Amino acid sequence: MELLEEFELHPVFNLPKIFGVDLSITKAVIVMWVAVALTSVLVIYAGRKRGLVVGGLKGGVEAILEFIRNEIVIENIGREGLVWYPFITALFFFILFNNLLGLLPGSFTPTSNINTTATLAIIVFLSVIVQGMIKKGPIKYWLKLVPKGVPAFLGPFLFIIEFVSLLAKPLSLAVRLFANMFAGHVVLGAFLGLIFFFGSYFVAPAPLLITVALRLLEVMFSAIQAYIFAMLSSMYIGAAIHDEH
Amino acid sequence: MSSSALAYIGAGIAMGLAALGTAWGIGHLAGRAVEGTARQPEASGVIRTTMLIATAFIEAIALYAFVVSFLLATKS
Repeated sequence: MELLEEFELHPVFNLPKIFGVDLSITKAVIVMWVAVALTSVLVIYAGRKRGLVVGGLKGGVEAILEFIRNEIVIENIGREGLVWYPFITALFFFILFNNLLGLLPGSFTPTSNINTTATLAIIVFLSVIVQGMIKKGPIKYWLKLVPKGVPAFLGPFLFIIEFVSLLAKPLSLAVRLFANMFAGHVVLGAFLGLIFFFGSYFVAPAPLLITVALRLLEVMFSAIQAYIFAMLSSMYIGAAIHDEH
Repeated sequence: MSSSALAYIGAGIAMGLAALGTAWGIGHLAGRAVEGTARQPEASGVIRTTMLIATAFIEAIALYAFVVSFLLATKS
């Protein structure tokens, strides 16, 4: 199907297989490198030296950093969660740049591939478990999954249910980001495809204008999805630190 | 009826039902948000942010259905 051609990955630079894993460089890898470079350059540049008056790009990035610090990290994890502030910031900017770079013509959106989002979600999942085990003790953390005051015979069943819901968190995190990006680009492609479907000069401007509007909407969704990913990650980490029950 | 025809029908029905539920949810959400803003205009910023987050959550459910229907439609 032509609509899905955009999401196919072809090696740009071939590398040999190591233990059966294909390590070839694809478009997605290059875009991710650019995203990593932009993230580090921007954040290091903005956080390097604090003058009294900041303006322009530096002020803008600083405003975003303040927002992440106060509204996402402290709000959801608390003051002791400031250890996670760099991690959440990196997640936010990495996803944001991946989404935005994918909107450039001829580019590729790494986040529209489930492998990327699943990797990010698994990193968050492991952080949640490790943070919980550090905070509450390696065995107590698993026991605390079952709420207090539950009859003893229900304990094992509730443990299984809570365990499954723990596993469902990274799954929904991965699928949400992937499906949003994938669906957004498919919709863009479908509207552009209408031009070829009708094949008339009179109809062509309408899908083009709709695509421009949708692309602007997609810029907004890129930011919102990055924000939601960062916020949900910090919420899960916060839930591992605090006692919900 | 061939199995691919059934897959196409299933994809259409899945997407349609998901859109129905999502439309109801987002309509309800936006209506309530407007109501809240009208009652308390000074809280409009907080309400807007919360609404956008909730919209993304609701939308995600429709997008799960979209992925499923896409898999169904491109299976054949």
